[in-house]
Amino acid sequence: MAADLRRSRLTPLGWAGLSIGAAIMLAPLAWTLLLSLKNNAELVGHSEAALHGPYTLQNYIAIFGNSLTTRWLLNSAIVALGQTAGVLVLASLAGYGFSRLDFPLRRPLFIFVLLGLAIPSQAVILVQHQLFAWLHLHNSYPGLILPGLVAPFGVFFMTTYMRGIPRELDEAAMLDGASRWTIFWKIILPLTVPAQSTLAVFTFLGAWNDYWWPLISATRSDMYTLTVGLAAAQMNYAQTSGLGYLMAQAVFASIPIFIVYIVFQKQIVRAMAGTAV
Amino acid sequence: MKRIVAALLVTLALGSCGQSDHKTHLYLQRFFGECGAEYGRSIDVSNAEGECGIITTLVDRFNAENPDIHIDVNVVAWPGYPQLTAQVAARDPPDLVTMHEGVISDYASKGLVEPVDNYLRAAGISPDDFTEAARQGVTMYGHVFALPWDTHGGLFHVNTALFAKAGLMRGGKPVLPNSAAELITQARQFEQRTDKPYLIQSNVGDPAFAARNLYTYMMAQGAVLFPDPKHIKLNTPTGVQVANFFRRINADKLGTQNMDTPAAIAAFVSGEGGIYPTGTWMIGSFQQEAETPGRPLYRSYAVYNYPRLWGEHVVYVSGHSWVVPTRKRTPQQRAAIARFFKFMAAHNYDWARTGHIPAFKAALQDPRFLALPHRNDIASLAQIGRPLPSYVLRQNAIEGIVGEEGAAAFTGQKSIPQALAAAERRVDDLLAQVD
Repeated sequence: MAADLRRSRLTPLGWAGLSIGAAIMLAPLAWTLLLSLKNNAELVGHSEAALHGPYTLQNYIAIFGNSLTTRWLLNSAIVALGQTAGVLVLASLAGYGFSRLDFPLRRPLFIFVLLGLAIPSQAVILVQHQLFAWLHLHNSYPGLILPGLVAPFGVFFMTTYMRGIPRELDEAAMLDGASRWTIFWKIILPLTVPAQSTLAVFTFLGAWNDYWWPLISATRSDMYTLTVGLAAAQMNYAQTSGLGYLMAQAVFASIPIFIVYIVFQKQIVRAMAGTAV
Repeated sequence: MKRIVAALLVTLALGSCGQSDHKTHLYLQRFFGECGAEYGRSIDVSNAEGECGIITTLVDRFNAENPDIHIDVNVVAWPGYPQLTAQVAARDPPDLVTMHEGVISDYASKGLVEPVDNYLRAAGISPDDFTEAARQGVTMYGHVFALPWDTHGGLFHVNTALFAKAGLMRGGKPVLPNSAAELITQARQFEQRTDKPYLIQSNVGDPAFAARNLYTYMMAQGAVLFPDPKHIKLNTPTGVQVANFFRRINADKLGTQNMDTPAAIAAFVSGEGGIYPTGTWMIGSFQQEAETPGRPLYRSYAVYNYPRLWGEHVVYVSGHSWVVPTRKRTPQQRAAIARFFKFMAAHNYDWARTGHIPAFKAALQDPRFLALPHRNDIASLAQIGRPLPSYVLRQNAIEGIVGEEGAAAFTGQKSIPQALAAAERRVDDLLAQVD
């Protein structure tokens, strides 16, 4: 109803502005798609050749011609899903602890966690790499997944969300004899599904697109994630003599993200609008 | 749910499985891309094309000819040094790695790559077999630290159709300048008669372009770019003279403006300028254009070394090489590395089909090499090519700084003394931080 009201207030000028904005946003994506469907040699001199046929799927066939592509896809899926599951579990537990439980040093600990938001990953990459080398975890799934589980944003997000849930629910459950775990598992957690969905989407997207850590941790090609594998498969000067292939790689790598976006569109929009909390 | 968990565990377990086949395994790490789809099962090197195709078939052929050895290949994103450094830090480096010659000193100075003198001896290869440019590129601290694989550097790629229109062809060959003044004169004539710029330049996002030009023409005048391992000297009368020359080309619109590498390449193959000074690696692509009817470069392509504009005829070059990172190895692995070196040296001609100049004198004089298009015109790069001194560390980073400031000077974004002084200060700061 509210949406209908807003829509009815949009003037033709507003529609035109939105349409132009949408076209500007979509044009690079359409351009990428068109380039990916062209023969590389045709694009060397004139990338505008992408505006007309003939089109070909040879760049996509070449991607799948590499026997490791499916392996990289699987690696990315395992790492992204593993990180997402891990972050949801840890952030939910930590969020519940920080929002509901009284324990010594709770406030300083929460501030300590928040400080993690201010530290860029680049600042700790050397010691992180050395730690994982010492643990012999490079070129392994745990080596790719574990660093992503350190998610101060997730803890902050879930803590803030859970603080908004009335404490009376906990008290009523306690009167009925429910344990802390039962309250968390059966009462609080189901109420956080919207926040969980939002956090899951952002964690998945971040893990899927991560390049730097997989680049230096997964140094054996069978352990590459899709981002690193596709970059490795590029020949020098791919941006000129292999432009179509390069764009096909970009399209291919973004398909899973596209699917995630379609499926979780409502949660993403809600999160971007700041209404999930 | 249980089935999904079980499947995941099986996948994880399989991912950790190793292999045991009683062969001596060498772990080779390289860039040049992945083209297993096209060449993965081929050992026919002569029919392979491009860097990726040729290196893929060469390794496959080595495996086929040496059944007791297996080379496991790891393809990394160019240039692969972040990964190599990470592997070294994790004490798990590969056995053989492709490395630009300008980078070897970074690893050799810390003992992270082995001298290869013993491997060369075992393979029956003498450093005297290398070309002069290649020998200089891999020799440091009194040892040879890599098997040189090629020499690559800047070349003048020429559109001969436009040169003919400009009246700059003699005896079927383009007339190239013999001095800076002559280049300006010819550039003006070219611009007047063709209405197109003489030089195609990639001064945007391509620091190698400006650095290559500055290094080459300062070296030609005998400038000592690095008087010691910690300092660079660019803001000198020689440096200012070279920068002024390129500044004039831009100010007088004798060269293209605001182009990055893809734009410059596209401009050259579209016939939008006379000369594109870029590397050996583009010969294959441009020659392909020259052999395709209907294309602007059809039968209109030639390529030559950078002309001598001042002093001596020298050109700044680098090269690809094979290094052996330091780690524990069995005698069998060491013997396998020597056999790999011998094989690769014997196939240096095959690699030279990429456009790069051979690193071995024998390949350079090979009639098959000289019969390749244009190679006779550029083979002397192996003699006139000069790498930076091997005592200079962080050559890649330095090239980035020099190129960035050089481009700012050439295009007028900064005054020439200001840009050259900034380059000196930034490079000296960088080198001061190096152990």
